[in-house]
Amino acid sequence: MSEISVKAIGIFKGYKSFFGKNTEVLKDITLEIRSDEIFGILGPNGSGKTTLISIFSTLIYPEKGSLKILGLDSRTEKDAIRKQINISTAKPNFPWSLTVRENLKHYAMLYGMYGSELKKSVDEQIEAFELEEYRDIKFEDLSTGLKQRLSLAKAMLNRPRLIFLDEPTTGLDPEIAIKTRQLIRRIHRENEVSVILSTHYMPEAEMLCDRIAFLRHGQMVAQDTPQNLKNQLHLGERMILHYVGPVNIDELEHIPGVMRIKAEPGIAEIVIDRTAENVDRIIKLFAGASILNIDIIEPDLEDVFLELAR
Amino acid sequence: MNWRGELNKYLASTYKNWIISKRNVFTLFELFFWPIMGLLTIGLLTRFLNVSSNTVSFLLVGSIALAILQTSQMDVAYVLLFDMWSKSIKNTFIAPIKSYHLVFGALLFGIVRGTFVFGILVVVSNRLFGFDFLAGGIAPVLIFLVGVYAMAAVIGITVCISILTFGQKADVAAWSLSGVVLLVSGIYYPVEVLPPALQALSRAIPLTYFLEYYRSVYISGPHNIVLGALLAALYLVVGLMMFAWSIERARRTGIMLRLSE
Repeated sequence: MSEISVKAIGIFKGYKSFFGKNTEVLKDITLEIRSDEIFGILGPNGSGKTTLISIFSTLIYPEKGSLKILGLDSRTEKDAIRKQINISTAKPNFPWSLTVRENLKHYAMLYGMYGSELKKSVDEQIEAFELEEYRDIKFEDLSTGLKQRLSLAKAMLNRPRLIFLDEPTTGLDPEIAIKTRQLIRRIHRENEVSVILSTHYMPEAEMLCDRIAFLRHGQMVAQDTPQNLKNQLHLGERMILHYVGPVNIDELEHIPGVMRIKAEPGIAEIVIDRTAENVDRIIKLFAGASILNIDIIEPDLEDVFLELAR
Repeated sequence: MNWRGELNKYLASTYKNWIISKRNVFTLFELFFWPIMGLLTIGLLTRFLNVSSNTVSFLLVGSIALAILQTSQMDVAYVLLFDMWSKSIKNTFIAPIKSYHLVFGALLFGIVRGTFVFGILVVVSNRLFGFDFLAGGIAPVLIFLVGVYAMAAVIGITVCISILTFGQKADVAAWSLSGVVLLVSGIYYPVEVLPPALQALSRAIPLTYFLEYYRSVYISGPHNIVLGALLAALYLVVGLMMFAWSIERARRTGIMLRLSE
């Protein structure tokens, strides 16, 4: 049976302004994350994803609530937690004039590594993240993709049991983003590291995450596997018909199971609660026209996101 | 964790400051240009005013102390300033480190740089103005340097606390605090010339006592080095506690996140 990486109950976080006004950023977050899963925290900008990850990584503290990381209390056992976790931040930043190797060495030293263990860990990460060619390049001279790889390499230096990845592919070109996702999978699988990541890129979450929590205005509005979320929300499927000839589109509204209709001359996009009966009724309505093509598209996480962010 | 791992937590900041310094052309100004310019200005002023040899020693000791203080206190402050400027504070504070690892690691590098500046200024003051800084022997020099480095650590810690309390704009404090010390600790004049309120303040600053101690090597006069040492130790301990508290506060208020954005 897998262990629990994160157990959060009733987490609240607010920021006080200079004049004492409190802005609530997270409200009553309760969730449990297993160590054998890649868990995604999704939500629109400003929904509280980075704040939640920062609280889980003990970088900042919650105002209220109970939080256990790797079975340790986040208030009283912070140092023991920090030894076993690491983070790769959104927009990775490191001291500019240190090279890749020097940056890794510096952070390994902060984790109390020394001698051959330090050298081995630095070399291993340089090799694992394909940074050999760039080991003596200063951080300020690296491309965005390489900075991201360095950030992931740094996150693995202390051989953590749990890593937090805050928007790990933001700003990367598609090819590098795919490589980064492969790296994340590899880290999780080969190193048996529990991964918690935030993203607002839905295909990434769908591709990587075993389970997902959706945040909106600091509240958790849903939490489940991507497939269950799609099923639970009854988002329907999109049926796209290309046709020529006369069709009374208005009649579509009276067909049971039709949820939304978008029509242009020659194209009808219908969101339906799909059953064979419903599809049959729609096809029959197009009997007076010639159907050129029919596509039926299942809802994706993007649709879930749009529905939940509404 | 064994002692080597613990030692490396301190040396991490020494290592970072060293690499950044060696690649920064500004370092040349910090180590050579400003200290030498400061010493030359004061030395030449003593010639113009045709002051006694006692006054020359008084002023040159002050000038050298100020140069070491400014160099070393910047190194302690740099431990957070570099992270703040490169927006990498998150990466530092997610590691299992304490405030004292950062301060003493950075101070070690500050001591190396301060001692380098001291060596240069001792040679320059001797060659150009005939002032022998080592006339009293090695022990007074070491006591004096320890006092200056302790003061540098206290100022550097204060800058770090300001950054974590007030955010990014607080780095102005880094450039201003040694100016306040310059005014009240009797760098270029005896503290007796200050107004009574400032005199009381100067008596609360350890550097005042270390300057009076070292000047007594050249000009006989009273000093209370024990009180200076006790004050320096007290401020260091209180400073480290306040720094640790300000880190925890920055985690509670979220300043820690804003400093990385």
